[in-house]
Amino acid sequence: MTGTGEQVLFWVLGPISVLAALGLLFAKKAVHAAIGMALVMINLGVFYIANQADFLGIIQIFVYTGAVMMLFLFVLMLVGVDSSDSLVETLKGQKVASLLLALGLAVMVFLAIGKVAFPPMKGLDSVNAGTGNVTGVANLIFGQYVWVFEITSALLITAALGAMVLAHRERIGERPSQRTWSERRIRENRNVAGLPAPGVYARHNAVDTPALLPDGTPSQLSVSRVLSAREQVITPVRHVESEHDIEHEIEEGRDR
Amino acid sequence: MTALITSLPTEFKVAQVDYSAIAPMLIVTAGALVGVLVEAFAPRRLRYAAQVGVALVALVAAFVVLVTVSVDAQGLTLERAVVIDGPALFLQGTVLLMSVLGVLTMAERFGGESPDAFTPMGAAVPGSPQEASAMRAGLMSSEVFPLTLFAVVGMMLFPAAGDLLTMFVALEVLSLPLYLLSGLARRRRLLSQEASLKYFLLGAFSSAFFLFGAALMYGYSGSIYLGDISKAITSASGELDGLLIPGVVFLLVGLLFKVGAVPFHSWTPDVYQGAPTPVTGFMAACTKVAAFGAILRLVYVGLEANRWDWRAGVIAVAALTMVIGSVLSVTQTDVKRLLAYSSIAHAGFILVAVLAFDKLGVAGTMFYLVAYGFATIAAFGIVSMVRQGGSEASHLSQWAGLGRNHPVVAAVFAFLLLAFAGIPLTSGFTAKYAAFSPAIAFGGRAGVSLVVIGVLCSVITAFVYVRLIVLMYFTEPAGGEVVAEMPSPMTTVALSIGTLVTLGLGIFPAQVLSLAESSSVFLR
Amino acid sequence: MSHAATWAFRVRVAAAAATSRHVPAQVARLPRVSPYVVVAAVVLVGLLLFVAAMGARALLAPKAPTRAKLTTYESGVDPVGQGWAQTQIRYFVYAFLYVIFAVDAVYLFPWALVIRSTGLGAASLVEIGVFIGILLIGLAHAARRGLLRWF
Repeated sequence: MTGTGEQVLFWVLGPISVLAALGLLFAKKAVHAAIGMALVMINLGVFYIANQADFLGIIQIFVYTGAVMMLFLFVLMLVGVDSSDSLVETLKGQKVASLLLALGLAVMVFLAIGKVAFPPMKGLDSVNAGTGNVTGVANLIFGQYVWVFEITSALLITAALGAMVLAHRERIGERPSQRTWSERRIRENRNVAGLPAPGVYARHNAVDTPALLPDGTPSQLSVSRVLSAREQVITPVRHVESEHDIEHEIEEGRDR
Repeated sequence: MTALITSLPTEFKVAQVDYSAIAPMLIVTAGALVGVLVEAFAPRRLRYAAQVGVALVALVAAFVVLVTVSVDAQGLTLERAVVIDGPALFLQGTVLLMSVLGVLTMAERFGGESPDAFTPMGAAVPGSPQEASAMRAGLMSSEVFPLTLFAVVGMMLFPAAGDLLTMFVALEVLSLPLYLLSGLARRRRLLSQEASLKYFLLGAFSSAFFLFGAALMYGYSGSIYLGDISKAITSASGELDGLLIPGVVFLLVGLLFKVGAVPFHSWTPDVYQGAPTPVTGFMAACTKVAAFGAILRLVYVGLEANRWDWRAGVIAVAALTMVIGSVLSVTQTDVKRLLAYSSIAHAGFILVAVLAFDKLGVAGTMFYLVAYGFATIAAFGIVSMVRQGGSEASHLSQWAGLGRNHPVVAAVFAFLLLAFAGIPLTSGFTAKYAAFSPAIAFGGRAGVSLVVIGVLCSVITAFVYVRLIVLMYFTEPAGGEVVAEMPSPMTTVALSIGTLVTLGLGIFPAQVLSLAESSSVFLR
Repeated sequence: MSHAATWAFRVRVAAAAATSRHVPAQVARLPRVSPYVVVAAVVLVGLLLFVAAMGARALLAPKAPTRAKLTTYESGVDPVGQGWAQTQIRYFVYAFLYVIFAVDAVYLFPWALVIRSTGLGAASLVEIGVFIGILLIGLAHAARRGLLRWF
């Protein structure tokens, strides 16, 4: 039978995981969805431990909330900030139809499973007392299910190979050293002293602020091409406008 | 049934392994691992030859061992995780032979340095200078060969899996390399990457369905072994029946996705179009064999006892698959998409044979898979040869008048199309006969109506194929030079074997048919 | 011992009593608590500590915000753009390899427990050897392709 403690645990963590799962579905920001997912996974781990499957619970937290969630966050970081979900329906009425089908499926599953009269729980007491939880798992992995265990390694090496194929760019030729770069600069006689550094000190010390040439014009060479392409380079207008604020702050600092 | 749960073996028992039964799988796995080592340590200029060599040697050796050693080692091994019986051996042999052809077509270089269908660098941004310099430097994705071998391992295990867990892992082992291979096309990279992503997302989704189903079945029967599930169904007291139907439905959803049955087919045209063409051929032929093998084993060994509960649903799926596959193939303007819809229709025809629930139905299914697979690999091999301006001429209008410039290529393609249509003297006809006759004999009224639908749909698809043949022979070329590249001996061999098997099975089907019949009994 | 220290000791002992069946004689005298109560207590104490620390900081720290102080970096190079930066795909491989070896480590834990037992020891050594050997081939491929070199 379920003890009081277990029931309290379930009724506290159950709603939290359901809310977190809903957050995963409906969160606007991908990071929030990921956090919701991590919460669900930690809760699952707690449930496993409460169900006497200590090893499974620890593994759930170790592998899923640790490694797999990290992979998720990496994928999120690969996605640019300005990329947004395309909400254009390419197939008309697909959203409504899939929603109806999903609801139908859910109703079918709930009705069918709701009818089930489960026999009384046995728990893992006898197994855990005999050999211990982890040793019992080891006996199954290395005994009865050894084939599945070994064939999993084929899966993992395929994954490693796939990650290499899809994400690793092999270097073609030698990487130019600093010496090569400087020799090339001098040979071509262009920017011999190096490119000008960005930032106008005492005004705005940042990579998006072009350096000013002697005649007062901004030098495009001093800012990264990427920032120019994203149109993130600062124009002088902003500084002129913010001059008042800066002076105010300086005054404030002096008066204190 | 809960008695099974309490009888979890806590004592350790070393698994008994019958090495001669699983030797073919071990050989292919070893070949794949050697392939990875070649990839790691062999100098770049030797890699192509070494990879193709290793892959072919492993596949052929596995086949030889299969027909000489493993046939005598039938039985359940590895604690019932692997069942080597007639259907398993037949389908494993089929997968091995087809994957030899698949590897031969994938290795095609058309005079270049690297396999022509695959990108030199999968990680480079499509159209970037990096991709161009990778091409100049002679890089190649020779990892495709070990990946193919890993897929073959999964495909061999899938129809031989004796429990749901092994079946699931086999499903993943065969799917993961295919997701990767689909994204490595040399031309139309974005389409290829989109195909890979779509296949991966939907495939992961269907795997989740399968896993959910497996969990429900475990809850129902207390065991993941197909034999135990079958016993539990016949001896059930009825308390847990609510778990059975959702479990069966989810398991079947996972498997029907892999064969591309309607309504789980929507990935098929996009993936078939985007994937590198030889991969499409390999995937279409071998995945179907493996997945139908798994469906046969699951349905005939595990779930037959309550088939009256779920049969109606699969009958509907089969009918829908045939109708939608053939009707939508009429509107296609791309050769690869056309063949994709045709493959959907064929999946429906094969399901008709599966639904016969008889030894002959198993034989018909297996024969159909052989006939369809060899023709498909050859057909996609030809699609990869037809070029316009260096890229594949996959639009139908580009195929106009091909018969005048390249009579042999067009003739072979026309012959394969006739086989797809099921014209007599081709394997398509005998296969349809082998698939439909058990459905009429044992399928009852539903079987007969499915066969009627099947014949009508065959007529529709025949119209599509004949239209394409007319286009190739009797239409003026639309303009622009469309050429069929001169294939290397390897592709020529693959195409010839595919075509000859298609012809041979059409004229003398008896031997393969009787082999299929004699190896259609499942061990449980 | 202070009150709090005694209490913490009791919780620890109760937790130990809940997990182990070799209860030392001295511990057995303590009242038995349901392990769930222990867990709840630990969670509660954790929350309390967090709130106390944050609250104390908010109460004690002087506060005099100016615009310059509120920027992400009070001195040094000003940040550009938003806080969200796109990472390069190359780092993904490391994350992926980590996941693969985390899964591998999952199997190592139970294995480490049974390696000394008779019968299972030799068999499981071979089995885990094959498993890790296959994964090492994958790692060798990654290493030879220059993944593990920074430059």
